[in-house]
Amino acid sequence: MNSFMLYSVLNTVFVLLVSPLFISLIKKTKAYTQGRRGPSLLQTYFLIVKLMKKEVIYSSNSSMIMRITPYLNITFMLAASLFVPLLFIPALSPGIGNIFLFLYLLVAAKFFMALAGLDAGSTFGGMGSSREMTLSAVIEPVVIIVFATLAFVFRTMNMHEMFTQSLGTSILINPPVLLISLSLFIILIVETSRIPVDNPETHLELTMVHEAMILESSGSNLALMELSHAIKQTLLMGLLINILMPWGLAREPGLVNIGVATAMFIMKGVILAIVVGLFESSVAKMRLFRLPALFMQAFFLAFVTILFELLNRL
Amino acid sequence: MISVQYELTRILFVLVLCSAALLITQRSLTSLFSIYAVQSMLLSFIALLLFWKTGVYALLFIAGLTILTKVVVIPYVLRKVQKDIYTKRDLEFSYLSPVSSILISTALIFVVYKSFAHFRFGLSQDNVFFMGAVIGVSLLFIGMLIIFSRKQMITKIIGYLTMENGVLLFSLFIAELPFIIEVLIILDLIILILLSAILAFGIDSTSTMKEFHRKLDPFSLWFKKQQK
Repeated sequence: MNSFMLYSVLNTVFVLLVSPLFISLIKKTKAYTQGRRGPSLLQTYFLIVKLMKKEVIYSSNSSMIMRITPYLNITFMLAASLFVPLLFIPALSPGIGNIFLFLYLLVAAKFFMALAGLDAGSTFGGMGSSREMTLSAVIEPVVIIVFATLAFVFRTMNMHEMFTQSLGTSILINPPVLLISLSLFIILIVETSRIPVDNPETHLELTMVHEAMILESSGSNLALMELSHAIKQTLLMGLLINILMPWGLAREPGLVNIGVATAMFIMKGVILAIVVGLFESSVAKMRLFRLPALFMQAFFLAFVTILFELLNRL
Repeated sequence: MISVQYELTRILFVLVLCSAALLITQRSLTSLFSIYAVQSMLLSFIALLLFWKTGVYALLFIAGLTILTKVVVIPYVLRKVQKDIYTKRDLEFSYLSPVSSILISTALIFVVYKSFAHFRFGLSQDNVFFMGAVIGVSLLFIGMLIIFSRKQMITKIIGYLTMENGVLLFSLFIAELPFIIEVLIILDLIILILLSAILAFGIDSTSTMKEFHRKLDPFSLWFKKQQK
């Protein structure tokens, strides 16, 4: 039980610390591909600190939803962060680790964000919420199928057990893992509102989805929203990393183990963030009605994964 | 006992299927040609791995021939034709949208898997052969789906080529066609590509027969030039 307490504290602190780094790193990569120098790697930390100090302003139309959403969002994300061990896998994980609960925590945060978008009564917020919900209606079934495939491949619903298993194997032995990682990469792109789906950098009303919903938030509320977005991205990245390249993840707590795991995770996260940045720079934003084709590719890959797994078990 | 060659082959299967999924949804002609070239490259790698495992020289020749024709010559001809018909993208789909094509292709793969599962025990002890057969036949059906759902002639050719790749994959793992037949198939393929490329040139870029003849004229000159 003691190790679980240690795990909860360490994992949460680590997620909070490392998440803004990946956001800035993706921005930096994109800037380099465009021939700019880009913001410093600490920029997202500065942004969050700055916003924390600022005054919160509410629209006179807004209700309680607007006030509680940032806190709910960060709570959901931090709860979800316990499901994805980034440094070491605790031996006992009472009550946490169910993969569908993880999914529901992410969706609950999204739901409240969409409500908050509507709450202020501005047109942009409503548009953003409507788009986000439309996209969710298409992507969520695909996400559920991909996660179900994950559960099928590892024969467990507990994420901690999945990672323990993936630690013991290599990609070479397991083509299904390679396939499911491709699906997870598509989900990472979609869920963190990256370029073929949404543009995280724009404030143009024509294209924005995620940005439109948080347009009415201000001050510390906005900081919490940005932070929870960053955490969501780290969690999905961590999921992909732990499944595709779990090397370095410790099985037991210990000073050396955790040090190695921290260094390894940051290294792998940096690589993945650069890959995401390059991917984002190399594709154009898709039209809204072409997006299902992208989602269906994730579905196709998940389906083929199940087939491969069936074949492997013959 | 796990053999390295078979494990690598499995990973190549994964990539072949990904390329098939991309062929269904991609719209840009140039990337379609590149994906086809990559897919053929993957098949030749599979043949090489099988050669490494079994030591049958025919497989080595098949790999070399595949690289020469399907990775170099055919994509080159297709790009040449594409340049002449001034189209960059194939945006039109008939009967099926890309999304439903992907859904149907998953269903097709599943049906193939199910129907092959009946006589799996007759095939071989290692399931990589069974996998190769399933993926080969699925690729064949996906090629048919591309022919069926695309409107432009030149993308239909890609569909046909994908079908042929499926047959090659199937024959690598199950049928063991004699080498001479493989060579004949590839020769046929090249002639067919040249012919259908000319047709595609006519069908895709013109509306009437007269216009077609007028356009064909400089094109035939191009072929004569190539022969010299």
